[in-house]
Amino acid sequence: MITAENLSRVYEMGKVTVHALRGVSLTIQKGEFVGIMGASGSGKSTLLHLLGLLDKPTEGRIILGGIDVKDLTDRQRTRFRLKRLGYVFQDYALVPELTVEENVFLTSMVRGTPKEEYLAQSHQILDRIGLSDRLSHKHNELSGGQQQRVAIARAMVNRPEILFADEPCANLDSESSRNVLDLFKQINQEMAQTIVMVSHEDWHKRYFNRIITLRDGEIISDDPPS
Amino acid sequence: MLTDLRVSFFLASRGILRGSRGSLYLTVLIIAMVFTNMIFMPSIILGFIKVAEDQIITYQTGNIIISPHGDERFIEDVSSLLEKVNRIPGVLRASAHYGTGVTLRYKGNSIGSTVVAINPDDERLVTDVYQKMSDGDYLADGENDEIIIGIHTSGHKDPSLDMGVTLGYVKAGDEVIVEYTNGVSKAYHVKGIIETGSFYADQGAYITWDELESVFDRKVDYATELIIKTHPGTYEPEVKTMLYRFGIREKVQTWQDILEEAMGRAVQNFSMLNSITVVVSLIIAIVVLFIVIMIKTLNSRRQIGVLKAIGVDKNIIIHNYVFQVLILTTLGVIVGTALVESMVAILTVYPFQFPDGEVTPVVAASDLVNNTIMLYVASFVAGYIPAWQVANEDILTAMRS
Repeated sequence: MITAENLSRVYEMGKVTVHALRGVSLTIQKGEFVGIMGASGSGKSTLLHLLGLLDKPTEGRIILGGIDVKDLTDRQRTRFRLKRLGYVFQDYALVPELTVEENVFLTSMVRGTPKEEYLAQSHQILDRIGLSDRLSHKHNELSGGQQQRVAIARAMVNRPEILFADEPCANLDSESSRNVLDLFKQINQEMAQTIVMVSHEDWHKRYFNRIITLRDGEIISDDPPS
Repeated sequence: MLTDLRVSFFLASRGILRGSRGSLYLTVLIIAMVFTNMIFMPSIILGFIKVAEDQIITYQTGNIIISPHGDERFIEDVSSLLEKVNRIPGVLRASAHYGTGVTLRYKGNSIGSTVVAINPDDERLVTDVYQKMSDGDYLADGENDEIIIGIHTSGHKDPSLDMGVTLGYVKAGDEVIVEYTNGVSKAYHVKGIIETGSFYADQGAYITWDELESVFDRKVDYATELIIKTHPGTYEPEVKTMLYRFGIREKVQTWQDILEEAMGRAVQNFSMLNSITVVVSLIIAIVVLFIVIMIKTLNSRRQIGVLKAIGVDKNIIIHNYVFQVLILTTLGVIVGTALVESMVAILTVYPFQFPDGEVTPVVAASDLVNNTIMLYVASFVAGYIPAWQVANEDILTAMRS
């Protein structure tokens, strides 16, 4: 599903060169729920951004679903993200002018899905995550946990091959975090959804079925949770 | 492509409907004012030209004027010429004028002026001056010792309304002395005062052709000009061509020629002034919309980054902002048109007072269309550039902003 070979990412910050990732290689199989963990500055978000086609590696290559993404144009990368990947961000990142329902069906609309179909899909997924009574609400009328569930619904509405989540619980209280992680686990188990999640909370480990730990841009462990 | 545009429009409409109301109203108001500014000035200029046209046709020259050719002072054999002209298709009536310099005297006041001899029955069919007698009556054919005087020569009761030297408030029934260049000096009974609103017509003094012949003590079969009224709906240049074809050797000018001669330079200056107004208005529109969209996009950098991250093409994002400015422009044009129409309605009831008459704004459909198109083009540019700049930003840079 995901193969990364010898990934490096170097940032030039003025006269300082930062090696965010140093020769990372990994393979993730379909249906895995992978947690990428590590301290702040370890390179976990950089790795997620490279795997999720939000950034380009300085060196190395990535194969997603059998496609070497190195040669894709910006437009092709955008289409790839739209059709095959899903994203959940730390701060929900809902479009403020859109309602819950509109946020969820936006990417389906961009894909050219017929209206009846994308409405049915969005209602179905919002029903599944327990927000079917909030269809016409705007983001500021929802709690943080509810907003993150809407973000998950938006990411899942097109049934992506891989779901990337960048510290999705960072802005949530522990109860909301548990609810969100339960939802991820449920999606992973019931739909065999491949999920790659960045987290730095130790207690999240129990939700993952594989944990990749980074330090200073290198993988220091790649194990199932103990 | 169609799907992308549909999504762009969807995002734009939601952005406007659910965005800041204050910003929306202010932007629409500014565009409306810019549009009004672009339309209003030309409408006044057009109104001014329209007044000049109406006055030339109605009170001065009719639709066509025949004047002596080259260096000649008079049109000879005017009675035959009148007969010939009146037979030409499209001509309703022709009227001969004989203008001569005189000195007018009244109660110690004297001014140099021009007295024009007319045949009142012909003149009634060519100009509407006879309908504009503010005091007394118009002349009748065959009358002697009678004169009618324009208000700018007779003077107002309130001297502050006078536009230059006058005789000092002459009224119908008064007596004025007219001194001709041939030495004849004669007292005339003022039969009426003309007040048309046309500066040219209101400056003159008129006597009958018979009176002129009695002053000159001979038959006068020559004129200084011939003015012609055409049938309604007749295209004057065709009649002009016809006049030449019928063997008229004198100089023939339509009212359009006269207007061009009299106001061509003024119209050019007005056009230049108008172009400057339009350019300044467009620059204001571009700057305002550029700032509005720049602020919107800068405030939405993170959101734009997120949209790109989840797979929304940057062109959809750019078109979203372009649609927003086009919607704002549409609303501005609608409000602006309503403002312009309201101002036109008010100024039709309370027109501007100019020396040449009352000017009401005339909004040409072509001005509305041209300025609307220019505003849309300006809006497109003002919306596209900032949206393009932000939408081309790297995803992570935008998301971290």
